[in-house]
Amino acid sequence: MADLEDRISESQKMGMQIVKESDDDRLMTLSVGPQHPGSGHFRFIVKLDGDYIVHCDPDPGYVHRGEEKMTEYRNFIQNIPHLERPVIHDSTNITYSYSLAVEELTGIEVPRRGQFIRAIASELNRQVYTLYWLAIYGIFLGHSTMFMWPTGDRELFIDLLEALTGARVTHAFNIPGGVRNDVPDGFKDRCLRQITYYEKRLKEYEDIFYNNPLVRQRTEGVGILTKEDAIRLGVTGSVLRASGVPYDIRKAEPYDVYNEIDFKVQYMKTADSFARAYVPFLDMRESCHILRQLLDKMPEAGEVRAKLQANPRGPPGEAYRRVESGRGALGYYIISDGTPKPYRVKISVGSFRNMLALPHLLVGAKMGDMPVIYWALNYWPVEADR
Amino acid sequence: MTSSTSSSPPSSSSSHSPSPSFPPKSHTPATTAAGFIKAIESGSKHLLIKRFTLRYPEQKLKFVGDGYQFDPKRAVGIAGLRGRHILYHDKCTGCQLCAITCEGIAEAIGMVRVDEQWKHNKKAIMPQIDYGKCVFCGLCVDACPFYALFMTNDYELASFTKEHLIYTPAQLAIKPKYSGDVEIKIDDHGASHHG
Repeated sequence: MADLEDRISESQKMGMQIVKESDDDRLMTLSVGPQHPGSGHFRFIVKLDGDYIVHCDPDPGYVHRGEEKMTEYRNFIQNIPHLERPVIHDSTNITYSYSLAVEELTGIEVPRRGQFIRAIASELNRQVYTLYWLAIYGIFLGHSTMFMWPTGDRELFIDLLEALTGARVTHAFNIPGGVRNDVPDGFKDRCLRQITYYEKRLKEYEDIFYNNPLVRQRTEGVGILTKEDAIRLGVTGSVLRASGVPYDIRKAEPYDVYNEIDFKVQYMKTADSFARAYVPFLDMRESCHILRQLLDKMPEAGEVRAKLQANPRGPPGEAYRRVESGRGALGYYIISDGTPKPYRVKISVGSFRNMLALPHLLVGAKMGDMPVIYWALNYWPVEADR
Repeated sequence: MTSSTSSSPPSSSSSHSPSPSFPPKSHTPATTAAGFIKAIESGSKHLLIKRFTLRYPEQKLKFVGDGYQFDPKRAVGIAGLRGRHILYHDKCTGCQLCAITCEGIAEAIGMVRVDEQWKHNKKAIMPQIDYGKCVFCGLCVDACPFYALFMTNDYELASFTKEHLIYTPAQLAIKPKYSGDVEIKIDDHGASHHG
């Protein structure tokens, strides 16, 4: 019997929850996920006292694919198509920081036009991701118009990216040394026309969703994450900015051409679910300004890609670079031992860090508020599991 | 990482004095009605606007160019859709670089023996592509040093059996017919598709 007790306390130390038979029948244990769309491919176990959540235990790992281990068997270029699988909706951003880190390792200089093109692709992809997230947030609040509109407008951005990169979702566009191909003819005009149209649409989004009294009542004051808690829990991206911390990697440590772009870090101080839902929207609007400037400042002609040897390799060393993705800081830590294949790759993703705030926010909330809090965290389970 | 820097706003962003973006004030009962009216108005406007849904099998999108290709002069890709490949038999030397590239990605390309006799292809082997595995990344096109392998606009590859997804060198040599001519038109009224 002592053995069993030991094992239980050992498991509890590892964070597992043991429900003994003698526990009060008051509490109901509920497993949310992992196969229900209500949680993505992610499970969290909640204990309910009536309608209130008294305990929450996130259990990531359902879609763990061993991306980090897979990188050790492929060379720096072959790694690109599989590294974008964790977030296919934001695939330019997830390969962006990888490219930056490999360029630092191998000492490749990216041509200026290439830097602009990949910044444009990354901003377009941020729109695609955020629209997809907004659609899901809308439908989980029961607002089906907010599912249809962003899904439709996202299609126009996908068409743009398709013209630019050749693929609709998984672009494999960034490559160490620049981008795969130059922009097609007439891309700039098409892009600008689309942004003008899209900014008009954003106003309508605000009318029908963000300023809708029903949505406001549903989200305001739900799931407060104070500034101190946000910093202590280490959240990132829109969740951090919604808690009143104006921190954006594009501003704090500018990469490529972002130091030439004039933009504001969007943040809010209300720190509730509404703020967490509104900050990505403000980011989309700011991203339109960034896109206009990028298209304006892009050199008319020039190389887009540095010449690579067949198996790019650098001296032994390590590099860490990060970018601001749709979900926050996305960093790659790469150790190279001088061979064409990386020795170790560590992917640091925003989703996983935002997930750590989930138990903090859910405990004390009503079960009905769960989707409002959970989806506002901008959490992408597949990315968190890698 | 965030905790070390975010206790005070980062210095680089303080130069333009960021101010938090405040949403419109909370709705008091008087503005609640206005909020509802505005929401309904912005939605009902769309009853009169044409939808931009692409009626796919009848309508097909027009793409940029003939597909993803590689420019021998600049040594970069040419923008285009990455659909099914096209293989030029008169250029392929059977060097296997496409298959070697694909080894670490999808393992979709295998080299098979062909009956044709070419002076430049003594081994008489050419790539055969399994579209059940291909991820359409196009890195094989980048790898081909003889510009023999390009991609086309053909993306309708569905079949009833797995065997039909494997395209032999002879099948890959056929130039697909793709007749997409619908373009998205964005104007003041919104987005729509035009044939």
